[in-house]
Amino acid sequence: MQFVQNFPFITIILSLFSGPLSSILDGKKAKKINLAVITVIALMSCAVLGFVIRSGAPYVYMMGHFPAPWGNEIRVGVLEASMAVIFCIIMLLCMLGGVYEREEELEETKQNLYYVMVNLLLCSLLALIYTNDLFTAYVFVEINTISACGLIMIRQNGRTLEAATRYMIMSLLGSGLLLLGICFLYDLTGHLLMSNIQEQVAILHQTGMYNIPLLVSLGLMSVGLAIKSALFPFHSWLPDAYGYSTLSSAAILSSLVSKGYIFLLAKIFYRVVGFDMVRDSKVVNVLFVFGIAGMIMGSVSAIQENNIRRMIAYSSVAQIGYIYMGFGLGTTAGVIASIYHIVSHAATKSLLFVAASGITDASGDSTRFQDLTGAGYRNKLAGVAFTVGSLSMVGIPMFSGFISKLLFAQAGMESSHKLLLTLIALAISTILNALYFMKTVIRIYTPVSRAAIRKKGFRNITMKENKQKSAALVCFIILNLILGLCSEPIIALFRSGLEMFS
Amino acid sequence: MNGWILLPVILPVLSGIFLLLTSFREHLGKTGSGSGLSAVGNGMDEPERHRLHLLTCTVLVISAILAVTAAFSGEKSVTLFYLMKDIPIYFHIDGISRIFVTFTSLVWVAVGIYAFVYMKHEGEEKRFFGFYLLVYGVLVALDFAGNLVTLYFFYELMTLTSAPMVLHNGSREAIMAALKYLFYSLCGAYMGLFGMFFLYRYCDTLTFMPGGTLNPALAQDHRTILLIAVFAMLVGFGAKAGMLPLHAWLPAAHPVAPSPASAVFSGIVVKGGVLAALRTVYYVVGPDFIRGTWVQTTWMVLALITVFMGSMLAYREPVFKKRLAYSTVSQISYILFGLSLLTPTGMTGALLHTVFHAIIKSTLFLTAGVFIFECGKTRVEELHGIGKRMPKTLWCYTFASLALVGIPPASGFVSKWYLAQGALGADVGVFGWLGPAVLLISALLTAGYLLPVTMKGFFPGKEAGDAEVHSGTEAVKEPSAKMLVPLAVLAALSVILGILPNPLINYISQLVSGLM
Amino acid sequence: MNIANLFNNYEEAIAMILFGIGFSNLLLQKNLIKKIIGLNIMDTAMYLFLALKGYIAGRKAPIVTNGVQSVEAYINPIPSGLVLTGIVVSVSVTALMLSLTIRLYRRYHTLDLDEISTRLKKEGL
Repeated sequence: MQFVQNFPFITIILSLFSGPLSSILDGKKAKKINLAVITVIALMSCAVLGFVIRSGAPYVYMMGHFPAPWGNEIRVGVLEASMAVIFCIIMLLCMLGGVYEREEELEETKQNLYYVMVNLLLCSLLALIYTNDLFTAYVFVEINTISACGLIMIRQNGRTLEAATRYMIMSLLGSGLLLLGICFLYDLTGHLLMSNIQEQVAILHQTGMYNIPLLVSLGLMSVGLAIKSALFPFHSWLPDAYGYSTLSSAAILSSLVSKGYIFLLAKIFYRVVGFDMVRDSKVVNVLFVFGIAGMIMGSVSAIQENNIRRMIAYSSVAQIGYIYMGFGLGTTAGVIASIYHIVSHAATKSLLFVAASGITDASGDSTRFQDLTGAGYRNKLAGVAFTVGSLSMVGIPMFSGFISKLLFAQAGMESSHKLLLTLIALAISTILNALYFMKTVIRIYTPVSRAAIRKKGFRNITMKENKQKSAALVCFIILNLILGLCSEPIIALFRSGLEMFS
Repeated sequence: MNGWILLPVILPVLSGIFLLLTSFREHLGKTGSGSGLSAVGNGMDEPERHRLHLLTCTVLVISAILAVTAAFSGEKSVTLFYLMKDIPIYFHIDGISRIFVTFTSLVWVAVGIYAFVYMKHEGEEKRFFGFYLLVYGVLVALDFAGNLVTLYFFYELMTLTSAPMVLHNGSREAIMAALKYLFYSLCGAYMGLFGMFFLYRYCDTLTFMPGGTLNPALAQDHRTILLIAVFAMLVGFGAKAGMLPLHAWLPAAHPVAPSPASAVFSGIVVKGGVLAALRTVYYVVGPDFIRGTWVQTTWMVLALITVFMGSMLAYREPVFKKRLAYSTVSQISYILFGLSLLTPTGMTGALLHTVFHAIIKSTLFLTAGVFIFECGKTRVEELHGIGKRMPKTLWCYTFASLALVGIPPASGFVSKWYLAQGALGADVGVFGWLGPAVLLISALLTAGYLLPVTMKGFFPGKEAGDAEVHSGTEAVKEPSAKMLVPLAVLAALSVILGILPNPLINYISQLVSGLM
Repeated sequence: MNIANLFNNYEEAIAMILFGIGFSNLLLQKNLIKKIIGLNIMDTAMYLFLALKGYIAGRKAPIVTNGVQSVEAYINPIPSGLVLTGIVVSVSVTALMLSLTIRLYRRYHTLDLDEISTRLKKEGL
């Protein structure tokens, strides 16, 4: 047992305890501690990633030295470790990008509470990534929901409160179904540890006993997690929650929170139920259909939107549709495409949110399109960043979105009966994406007369004015280019990670 | 190491980005000091403009020389990096690259020199030349692309980097036109991508090979779907080349773009679509696969309809640049028709017409630019009597239009001859005689819409001449040498290539015979 | 599969019926308090289900009073543990929901979520 193997556990505990610590500090110190904790966790996750890549095999970490069927476990492979690294980086950048907005928009006394929530969120995300115990996963799903809800409602206006309530209700419905599914599975197999459940499920599957309850349980868990991650018909809370909460909340929620659930779903597919069984069931087809519906309907709603942040939020609905479509293909290639899209979407969507805030800063804090005209000249970095994000979303080569679309299409090639549907959905959705993102890009680069700007009281924003945000934007752009140009090693990493996943 | 062949790509791209960055900074400085956004660009003083021109000119000439040297230094290939497993960004120079790079560089340099003067009245010169260099780099990369993914990669980049040239004056129409252009091109490119996914599966490799790389064993069972995929690609890449049904962006984009931009758009950028279609059909799918199928027939029909329709629309169009744009729509489909014949003669004609049209159409747009620059005239009927004031310009126009109509010995005649020969010789049933007939009608229409400008220009009639005197455009003179020389060179080339076409024809037919 | 199974396992059946009642209340009720009640019914149904799974007829709760008796004397303790964890989760979630409800009520003086939405739209925020 090497010391580095303790790191996953330490990262979870570290973020968990820095939460309560932040509650007794004032906002400034809490912010520093939060940033430090995320950085440390990112570094530790890197160490873990290095370790598992070198050892080439996943390892199991027993909690409290209770052996397998009784104790609680952490299981770390390449995929988990790389996800942890990426999530930490993106969260750090989101927090950096939104410093100014947080200080503006949140009450003085609530500043530190924000960091409590963020730390708890990070803790729950890490736990969701690493845990090997289904019930622990459920508990952290709830913690995730609660802290996400806190992040939405901490900026108190009517919209966010309503959105938080709607989010809570939807989430609770989802977690109710998830819990029911887990209980069924426990009832059927007598285990809570994922690997043990899989052995039992394999036996049940072979003998053909309890096939219907197994299917019901799988369906319940998938639908529950799909509801929680805002798959198409369950997305009504999302635009308000993302559109009106404070910047870093919106960025984190869109890029990470829903992705945690999706990662758990991937885990359930691979490690709990076994992918062969999932493929044989009809559950994937349901996800496929809803994913495609989400891809198209999300974009259609985004086109009709007149508020830039809500537009980006609706585009999230579409992108989550992509991810579920990848799962729905029922092939390993599809899952790899989905996982790549999780990462690429996380990097791009948070970039878009931060860039959009830079653009609205230069337009008198208005989010309506007619005020954004020419904003790309007033805040040049945000303009460039928004363009990069949009191009990535549309799927122009060089940026991350193109690679994920390529992967989806390749994955679609492997399943003959879903092939045409996948490609057509990709094509339609891409064109719709192009429609609203290109429209926005052209608008922010349309010059307006100086007089009009002065009349509205807009000002220019230089890079130095908000250093953290500029740094975050630059890092996001670089991240996007890396994902778009050097995707090969990352995909190879995910592929090997997925092999050791089950 | 063959890495140096990428220098003509990297050099203009880097200097283009440099120019854009400095223009961006100035823009910010200006708005900051409050001199007004609407008036920007004209504030550039003479020495600064001179430096800009010197820089652009040097970069253009050096990269053009490098590009042509690279093209004629033999079959070289470079793998830049792997985008994904089995999908490298790969460059390979072959005969087609050579032809495309040569005429691209030629036209680009000539139009660039012309633009130094022209862009004074458009403003924002740094931004324009920044993008101008950028697009050149991307085009060279597009011509050098050695596999379908690389081609697609730079095809998209070409769309993106050329869109700001349409957007140049920032007016509402320009924005709408740029949006239309972007949207049509992206739609088209995604249709191309859609087909590419299929080809990726059914081809041995996406690297260009003469005769195609389709795996016959795999393709046998999936003919229908593959044909649909190829058709989607042809229509998609046809969007860039202004082929029906995705042609509508062309007439919208050209009138609002600055004239040098229209010239290179019509002459060069739309050829990107031709190149993509050519590479797809002849180098990836293989002409044998689609010969005699509905894809070939539909492609041919679409091209012929576009030829006819473009000429008709041009004939009725009063705005000069729009008329030329419709003419482009029609002429590019000549090329596509030649390609769709799938015979060596047809393809020779198509390639010849690609080269000739690039030169001729840029000349025509540059003359249109002269009329706008010197006397602000955009409509055809305003040009009566213009020949009295600018005889040299109008003579250039006349030579180029004669070449485009196809009157021997000017160049258009040679390519159209080969196209007609190809159609007659190809085994395409009714199209064997219908094709040449349509080409002939269209040539008549071409004469009908281009030559009246010359006639009325030189012989305006009495009333028009009087009106001219009263409207006070007396003072209009020939443009400066910097504008006139590129114009004259291009116009002369369009005739000379028709008189001495043999080296080019020999080269192309050799190339084509290697293909089929 | 026959109907008799349903009556033999009537406890599970009741747990599922309760779950359904809670779920539909949470989903369909307009009144926020009723929604929260629905949530609690749903959670309770789950605890009932879990407790049933751990119960073995005739055995004691796994609470040590006079030293450990044999393993056969106690019921399965894990579901009980899960129920306890679940209760904790449900309490915190309920508390959060209630606090949200109070905030909304103070702002809009209504518990009807749809009405709040329409008012928000009117405000045009």
